Amino acid sequence: MNNDFMTEPLLGLQDVHYRYPGATSDALRGVSLAIAPKQFHAVLGPNGSGKTTLVRIALGGLTPLVGRADVLGVPASQWSRQELARTVGVVPQREDNLFPQRVRETVLLGRYPHLSLWGRERAADHDAVDRALAACDAQHLADRWVWTLSGGEYQRVRVARALAQEPKLLVLDEPGMSLDLKHEMGLFELVLDLVEAQGLGVLMITHDLNLAARFADSLLLLEGGRPVASGAPGDVLTQQTVETVFSWPVAMQSVDGRPQMIPLRQPKESRA
Amino acid sequence: MRWTLLGAVAVLALMTSVVLGPAAVPLNELLRSDIVWSLRVPRALLAFLVGGSLGVAGAGLQALVRNPLADPFLLGLSGGAGLGAVLAIALHLPGPWGLPIAAFLGALAALGLVYRLGLIGGASLDPRILLLGGVAIGAFAAAITTAIVSLADAAELRNAFLWLWGGLSGASWDSVLLVALYAPIPLIVLLAASRPLDLLALGEESAGYLGAEVEAVKRRVYLAASLLTAVAVAVSGVIGFVGLVVPHIARLTWGHRHRALLPAAFLGGGALLAFADTLARTVVAPRELPVGVVTALIGVPVFAFLLKRWSIA
Amino acid sequence: MLRRLSVVVLVLFACHTSARRHDAAPAHRIVSLLPSFTEILFAIGAGDRVVGRTQWCDYPPAALAVPSVGEGLPPSVEAVAARHPDLVVLYKAGPNVTAAQQLERLGIRTVLIDLNRLEDLAPAARTLGRLTGLEQQAESLARAMDGFTSTNLHQPPPTSTIAFVVWDNPPIIIGHGSYLDQLAAQAGARNVFGDIAAPSAQVSLETIVARDPQWIAVFSDSGTPPAFAQRREWRAVRAVRERHFLLLPGSLFGRPGPRSSQAVRELRDRLEHDVGAQHAAPLHETPRR
Repeated sequence: MNNDFMTEPLLGLQDVHYRYPGATSDALRGVSLAIAPKQFHAVLGPNGSGKTTLVRIALGGLTPLVGRADVLGVPASQWSRQELARTVGVVPQREDNLFPQRVRETVLLGRYPHLSLWGRERAADHDAVDRALAACDAQHLADRWVWTLSGGEYQRVRVARALAQEPKLLVLDEPGMSLDLKHEMGLFELVLDLVEAQGLGVLMITHDLNLAARFADSLLLLEGGRPVASGAPGDVLTQQTVETVFSWPVAMQSVDGRPQMIPLRQPKESRA
Repeated sequence: MRWTLLGAVAVLALMTSVVLGPAAVPLNELLRSDIVWSLRVPRALLAFLVGGSLGVAGAGLQALVRNPLADPFLLGLSGGAGLGAVLAIALHLPGPWGLPIAAFLGALAALGLVYRLGLIGGASLDPRILLLGGVAIGAFAAAITTAIVSLADAAELRNAFLWLWGGLSGASWDSVLLVALYAPIPLIVLLAASRPLDLLALGEESAGYLGAEVEAVKRRVYLAASLLTAVAVAVSGVIGFVGLVVPHIARLTWGHRHRALLPAAFLGGGALLAFADTLARTVVAPRELPVGVVTALIGVPVFAFLLKRWSIA
Repeated sequence: MLRRLSVVVLVLFACHTSARRHDAAPAHRIVSLLPSFTEILFAIGAGDRVVGRTQWCDYPPAALAVPSVGEGLPPSVEAVAARHPDLVVLYKAGPNVTAAQQLERLGIRTVLIDLNRLEDLAPAARTLGRLTGLEQQAESLARAMDGFTSTNLHQPPPTSTIAFVVWDNPPIIIGHGSYLDQLAAQAGARNVFGDIAAPSAQVSLETIVARDPQWIAVFSDSGTPPAFAQRREWRAVRAVRERHFLLLPGSLFGRPGPRSSQAVRELRDRLEHDVGAQHAAPLHETPRR
């Protein structure tokens, strides 16, 4: 491990190229990204733009053909799974819990990367679970069965589990999918709070341009594996860029100094 | 408290196995009886070891293939073992250990084939293919077995099917020693995989993100569970339902954390099989039922009850 | 033809004993699907009429010259029909009933005969005598076997105890329902499992140990002690430890038939004089590797 790892970005992608075996074109072309603590990065783009591939490469599941993908200066694929889990907490898009569990038990799973092979859970582990639940405003759910939770509540619990890992970087893959307004807003507020209060770095994949623009510090917009624009939301989400990448006419507005896009109607010719 | 209770049940199961039996051995002669020391004690111990191994293997497999209906014998091992046993009889393999060794090798061959099938999609072991492949290989082996039985000397081989139904009649201090030396290794491997198995319940992706070396764990668990099942079949034939039902019963009290579940499944499985064997030896005395029949007769109603509870939940 | 068929159908449906034929002509081309029937047929002088046998029919030696039609249980209907028999005799058991029906459909006369215990021998001989028109020869054989009817059973008081072990894992013994139990009784040995009504049954090894038979009888054509004698758990049985095995050749002891009285004599001789029994010094513990 690098001795001056604190100066390294939490996550550093440099000019990453990747092509899936047997594919006719690259899934990622020349993508670069650096996330430091207290930074909220969102990655956006239409379907098939390479967002999922980017997450896999960032977490060491795939090795870039060209370029580097480092976590704290060390290539992600060289990290052992357990060490990586102590540094990066991931909330994947889908989870399929086979067995019924209580909330506290499922959040406790987030402590596993810190547990030795035969050692028991200690008081410190249970404290970490309590802190994680508190940070996510989910203490009141602690003794509930997971299958009785609403979608929004379950999402919070999964974020709490990732927090229980005591990571430096939080990665969320489409966390707002299938959440209603209240819960989706609540989730973004939670993530921003974690960034500011706990100093985490955050990488979030999302479809929701507007919320990403409202909450994130930095956006990366992908199209066909290529980075179209990156930087502050105001610089990335211009009308022209959005219309080109998403192939739909939009109008742009500003709320709280952040760009918000409003899709324009395009009725079918027959109705015009 | 519940551990004390389980321990007491286990001890009780062992004791009834030693005290009860078709041959009337008075209590005061128990310690001096040759029947008790040469036959009942090794048989009770073997039942406990085999039942415990099947319980743990079942729990591990259910977590691995993410299917609560998995039973160690779904992996094709029983078909392979049966084929090995029948070949041993048909070819008149010499020695008293010819049949168990052939059954063990048959189980290993089935294990290898199913494992190879499981890797068909690439380097990652696919649990669904393990299940399907196990059923297919098992059926294939059973078909060959039936063909051999129909072509060769009928009488002897019909008796081979009785062996396959499961029985601890071959129990002796030799077989107890064999299993006692062999089983701890796969058992410890499975116990060491307790936490990764907990994580695997969330799905392979999530498990990886929480620190599990998913591919390595899957391989280890599959091989350990299969090796335990293979030795169980080799010494005692196919004893169904223990590996399926015991993990579920254990989960009712100990939950899904494998650190507690696996030891509970071991004690529970051991106690269940010891009780079942005692019943097999005594209910129709002087005749004896195949113990696989008794475990099925106990297991099916219990299983139906569990299914009902599960579907309500 | 039609009348014969309807009689057969009636008979097959109605009764459980051997079929009776009132006015059929004596059979001249017979396929015998049980070694015991083959032996009886040859014994009553109908051997030259036997045109088909099972592969297990090995006595008398002349029978080996008769073409085999296969295993016999269940019989290969085609192989049997290929011998162009006018009579097929089968042992009365489930798979054979179906085969008999199939043969009847081909126009071949079939007769199902019970033969489980020694008292079935005389009636079987008489039936075969009637079917071949050799009633007189059959009668003299039947009278010799009448000694085996349950009312005439001259059972000497048992002087030894015996258990027949036909399989070791799981242990399967012969019970009261088998003719072997009768052979033992006739030879002066009490079957320790005579209280089990079935012909054979699975028992616990400890039951065998507890009932402590003086002799363990096994079918063996090789004359060597059975493989299970080397297994540790079987050495709890005293007769195994002392190597008191009766190794019974399958051809003579494996079926009830005209030679059953010979079987009884041989068994009695072995029991009384320890002839042919493995009777070495008690086994030492095998040295540990």
